[in-house]
This record gives sequence, structure tokens and C-alpha cells, in this order.
Amino acid sequence: MSTFVDRLGIDRLRQWLPLTTLVILVILVGALQPVFLQPATLLQLASDTAVLFILATGVTFVIMLGGIDLSIQSMASLASVVVALTVARFGYGAFALAIGLGLLAGLLSGIAHVRLKIPSFIATLAMGGVLYSSALVISGERSIMLADAERSYQSWITGTVFGAPGVIIIGLVVLIVAHVLQAHTRFGRYSAAIGAGEPAAYASGVKVGRQKIFAFVLSGGFAALAGVVLAGRLASGSPTLAAELLLPSIAAVVVGGTAITGGVGSIWRTLVGALIISVVRIGMTFLGVNIFAQNIVFGVVLIVAVAITIDRSKIPIVK
Amino acid sequence: MNASSPEPVLSLINVDKRFPGVHALKQVSIDLRPGEVVGLIGENGAGKSTLMKILSGVYQHDAGEIRVGGRPTRFLDAADANSQGIGMVFQEQSLLTNLSVGENIYLGNEKQFTRFGIMNWRTLYDAAARQLAKVKVDVDPRARAEDLDFASRQMVELAKALTLEERGAGHLIILLDEPTSVLERAEIEILFARVRALKSRASFIFVSHRLDEVLELSDRIYVMKDGAVVAERNAAEADVTELHQLMVGRSLQAEYYREPLQKTYRAEIAVEAHNLSLAGAYRDISFQLHRGEILGIAGVIGSGREELTRTLAGFAPHGSGRLAVDGREVTLRSPAEAVDSGIGYIPRERRVEGLVLFLPVAANITLADLESLSRHGLIDAREERRLAISWVERLKVRTPSINTLCLNLSGGNQQKVVLAKWLNAKAKVLVLDHPTRGLDVGAKEEVYDLVRAVTTEGLAVILTSDTLEETIGLSHTVLVMRDGEITHRASANPGAKPRQVDLIGHMV
Repeated sequence: MSTFVDRLGIDRLRQWLPLTTLVILVILVGALQPVFLQPATLLQLASDTAVLFILATGVTFVIMLGGIDLSIQSMASLASVVVALTVARFGYGAFALAIGLGLLAGLLSGIAHVRLKIPSFIATLAMGGVLYSSALVISGERSIMLADAERSYQSWITGTVFGAPGVIIIGLVVLIVAHVLQAHTRFGRYSAAIGAGEPAAYASGVKVGRQKIFAFVLSGGFAALAGVVLAGRLASGSPTLAAELLLPSIAAVVVGGTAITGGVGSIWRTLVGALIISVVRIGMTFLGVNIFAQNIVFGVVLIVAVAITIDRSKIPIVK
Repeated sequence: MNASSPEPVLSLINVDKRFPGVHALKQVSIDLRPGEVVGLIGENGAGKSTLMKILSGVYQHDAGEIRVGGRPTRFLDAADANSQGIGMVFQEQSLLTNLSVGENIYLGNEKQFTRFGIMNWRTLYDAAARQLAKVKVDVDPRARAEDLDFASRQMVELAKALTLEERGAGHLIILLDEPTSVLERAEIEILFARVRALKSRASFIFVSHRLDEVLELSDRIYVMKDGAVVAERNAAEADVTELHQLMVGRSLQAEYYREPLQKTYRAEIAVEAHNLSLAGAYRDISFQLHRGEILGIAGVIGSGREELTRTLAGFAPHGSGRLAVDGREVTLRSPAEAVDSGIGYIPRERRVEGLVLFLPVAANITLADLESLSRHGLIDAREERRLAISWVERLKVRTPSINTLCLNLSGGNQQKVVLAKWLNAKAKVLVLDHPTRGLDVGAKEEVYDLVRAVTTEGLAVILTSDTLEETIGLSHTVLVMRDGEITHRASANPGAKPRQVDLIGHMV
């Protein structure tokens, strides 16, 4: 019985570790740079986190059921290019087109994974290559700046609503929608069940393949939305616009406490994880760490977070 | 048998092994003499596998003594067991199918064929050919293992075990664990002939569910039950029926299986099978299962009853014949289709297929029927909680709360959660696949009570069980299967249960 209590204690501790880490980081960076704790800086932090959070949210659905989506940064970049190329002609329709493409790419990844039984990391690695090249080809391998007239369509991203930046509102809407999907629908429940015990979910009559495909569709859609938002914030589209975001996105999911093996996790954890990544990034900037060296830190953080969050004694073979 | 017997090559003296909650081996004493084949039989859970795992170095015994050639020892791992002359031929064939026969034979012992780290393949294949000659099998050592039939693979495994001779292990002890389960009769003959021919080189421990084969090959037979050796017989003096009775042991206790609660079943037919067949598994299976009836399927391993169970649960659709559930003809292509037809599956692998261990009790109970909990696409959390609490109370699931992970429940309580899941999904038919496996006596009795209760309410139950005794005790009707066909049907009314010996005659 005592081991049972011990385990419960450790599990509790694990659960609160990400939030505790976030609070400590905020206090730490705030102590070093008091300007960090000013409302304007915090608002800026939230705005900067939004794109990362949206990307991470999409991939959270896939990770929850034990898969991975490596195509998200390419999808986001492609979406930015599509917006930049078509917003003059289609207006707001450009956003719908970009997000529609994301949903389609996710659907194809999902079908490749489920119907052709290709491991998700291969299916989405390949899809990522396809999307990246598509972005290169249609953009003519260049960055496309948005003209002033075109920027007016971006006001829902770049403007403010009641003083709050639009991008934060978008992030909040994503949070609410994703949370409801994950915590209050059959899809969310089935995802958790599949991630934690696929054979039992299958034997209970859950249509496993369908849930998996839907998760990839969501991941593709959110990745495209992230690209759209990024295009708005940077007033441009480029095939490499989101190029450095894959590693931080997956790190955000895992640092938040969602198990990379699936089954355990939530959108809230991803929010906390994304904020941790942002604070670390800003902290490094304050400390003068070379911006190009930051992925070294995120790589290390990812390894450490996975090592802490999973109980490897239950996993005899890792491939 | 007597004082003039030669010194045993292997002796187990009061060997004891415990796992958390289970006393797996109780004071087991077994002798193996030079050139002898000793048969080891017992039902599932009797302790045979644990014993084999101790002899092959997977587990270590807690108490008692193991002697090899008179010298006390223990086996730290498979390599250690090998070095002490223990070879293994296992049912789950251990050959790597993507490697050649020769590579398989010397897997892990290639060093003798290397110079400066470079393999000399010719010497390896020459040596492999010599090993294959020992078992008189005509197989090219360069052939890939996957291109061999099962019988040849089994011979290759035997040849692999015999390489221990070259490694100076002395007189070999070879463990044959269900080596015949995938073989045809003619192939079995060949295997047995080879084993007999090898008696001058080795002694064998032969584990099999097929009692006739054990009798045929063994010199002496040990019968295990509930972790202990309950009998020892010379093969020449034993017969199948006696052995089976020794294995099964207990006399049937009506009270234990809640016979007084066995009510007459209803007239309505829940499941009807007509000439159901699945290639390689079973054929021409016909039965009617009525509401409130428990239909037990008896049979040994390979009788086809396991596959029939999986068909009814939606894992292996039947090939030909007709299957009707609630009067509607169906082909169950997936568990989802079985669930839609009103069939609930209580699997033998409770912790893998029964429950999502890392989800709470409540989520497991509602997993098979979230549709009726959904309002406008959202799960009604309050209703879910109410349902989960009511099932936990009704089935007396002992859990700290409905939010406890199923991982933390005992086996019996886990099984109640699986049952609650199907009752909540309003299943009309339950497929019980070894429902009491790994449960202690008290938990078993609770499962029996619940099964009786749900059948009284009109559920139809199909039962395959670890023990014949349980099958007879619980069922209204018993189907006996052998080699994929139904060989006998017996009604099992309270007070007029068929005798085990009568059914065994149709099983083997």
C-alpha cells in the first residue's frame, strides 16, 4: 500500500511540475529584468506565444493518441504563402483557402497513417516535404511582402479588441475550442483511450482509425491557422516563415506534461508548455543568448521533459 | 523409480516461487534422469510455465534447490541456463524468420566463426549443416527461416539446442514447451522419432496440452495443479482419462458455481450459428444461444474454441456459414460491429483488451456507450458521473472513487469494471473469454454471482474457461470441440451436470 501512496505522490508532483516551472521562470526572469513583469511586456509575451500555442495545440491532438505530426511547420509556412499570394484576389477567402489546405493535408496524412499503416512520423515527415516544396514552388522561392491594401484584411490579427491584441483573442478562441474538443467530446475521450490503451479502445467498439484521421485533420487545420496568424503579424508569407517552430511546438506539448506516448495530456498543459517556451526564449534574449542558439536549449529541454514525464520502467523497448 | 535408478541429471527439490498475490510454485520436486523424457502436464495456471521459466533463467526460484548433475545451482538468465546445458524449444517459435537457418542456429555464438571481427560464413554454415545432420533434417543451412515449414523450424530449434554439446555443456537437458502446437500429425511423428533418437545425448522435459502426445513420448509424467505437483505416473501405467482427472482435481461443487441460482433460460434466441466455418480454425459450427442461457465451450488448445470466441467478439470474421444476432444476420468485421449488434466482449487479456488502465473507472465504464451520454456533441459529465457511481454501487466495485485509474484496482474489481462497461452499453450477449483468469477464489465467486445475476435478467452468455470444471459448473449447455468441430453437446442443468470424464472423452 505504501508504494501505491508513493506513486500517487510522484504522479501528483509530476502533474504540477510544469506550472511550478512556469511560475519559477517568470519570477526568475522578472527578478533579473523587472521590466519583464510590466503589463506591456506580458501582453507582448502572450502575443508572441499565440502562434506557437496554436501549432502546439494541433499537434497535441495527435500526440494524445500516440502519434506525431512533423509536417506542422511546413504547413504553417505554406499557409502563409497561400495567404500572401491570394489575399488580394480573394480577400478573407484567402484565409479559408489556407486553412482548408491544412485540413486537407491533415486528412491525407491521417489516411496514409491509418489506411496504409505507415508510422505517423514517416507519413507526416513525407507530407512535410511535400508541403515545404509546394510552398517553395508557388512562392517562387521568395518571401512575399503584403501590400498596404492587403494588410487591411489582417486587422483581425494585428488590431486590438477592447485593448487586447487580436492575436491573443485568436489564441483564446483556439484554447476554448480545443479544450472543449479535448475534454468534453467523444473524440477527446476516444483519443485519450486510444493513446492510453488502443487494444482496449478497439475491443470496446471505438472506431480507432476514424478518430486518428480526425486528429490529423485538426493538426493540419491548426497548423494552417498558425501560418495565417504568422503571416498577419509579419505582414508577409514565406516558405520558411515557420521554419524554426517544429521543435519548440513539440517541446511545448511535452514540457506541458502531455506524454509523448499518448493517453495523458490536455490543452491547458500545452498552454503552460507554450508559455514556458516563450519565457525561456525571452529570458535567453534578456541574457543575451544568441537567437540562433536557442534551439540548442529547446532540444535539451525536450529530451529532459520526455525523460521526466514518462515512467520508463513500464516501457521495455523504445524504437 | 527405485534405488537402482541412475543419478538424476536435473533435480528440483521443494522449489518455491511467489509473485505478488500469487503462490505460483509450491514445494515442487521433480527428477530428470539421463536419457529420460519427462512429461509435465496441468491446466492453465497450474505452474508449468513458471517452472519452465525458472529452468530457462527467466525467473529465479525463491526457495528450495535446483541441482544439475548433483550440484546445487540456479539460472541467472537464458545464457546462464544454456551454459549449464539447458536447451529450449519453445512453442512461440524463437527463430528469427529474416535470418538464415545457420545464423539462427549460432545466434549469439558467432564468435567461434570470426577472425578479427570478420565472419567466416563458410565455417558457420558447415557447422550448421553438422548440427542439422544430428536431427536428420534435410534443410539448407543457408535457407531463410521464414521459407521453412513449421516442422522444419522445430527441427532447426532442436538442432540449435544441440549446439550446446559442442560448448562442453555435458549431458543436455532440453525443454520442449508445447512443441507440437503448430504441427500436423505426420510432423509430430517425425519430431517424436528425433527426440527418441536423441535420448542418448540428452534428457527432455516435455510440456504439452495434448495428453495423448505426452503419454506417447514420455517415460514418466508429473501432474501439476495450483502450483504443486499432485501426481507422478509412469507413462506405461497411465491413461488419458486418469491424467485429465488428476489435472482437474476438485470434485464439482455445486455451491461454488452458484448452481441454485441457475434459472431456466428463455425461449427467445439471442445468437444463432449455422454451419459457421473459418479456414484453419473451425468448421460447421451450429448452435442456438437463448436469452438467459450460458453456453460453455469446452475443448483443448487447438480445438478451435478460442477462434470461435474471437469471431463472436468481432476480431476474426467467419468465412462461411450464417451468424445471426437477435434475428439479424451479421458478419462481425470489427469489434465495433459486434458492439453495434449488442455483443460485449470480456477478454482474457483484461489489462490489455478489457480496460484502458490509465483511464479512470468512470471513463472505462462509459467507453463503449458514449453516444447516449452525448448532448449536442458534448459528453454530459454529470450524467456520466451518476451512471458510473450507480454501476460501482450495483456491482460492488471496490475503488476509492470513480476517478481512480483502473490500474490501481485489483483483478476482480477490474473485471467488474469491464462487466459494468457492457451492462452500461446495454449488451444483450456477453462473450466471456476466460473471465476468471488470474483471479483469486473470492474474486472468482463474485464474478460467478454477477454472471448468474445478469443471465437471470436475460443476457445471453458464451463462455470459454480455463477449467472444464468452471465450464460445466456455470453453463446451461456445454459444447465440446475437437479439431475445429463440435464433437458433443450436453445440457448441464442444476443437479444433472455432465461428468468431466464424459466430456473429456470428446475433447481428446
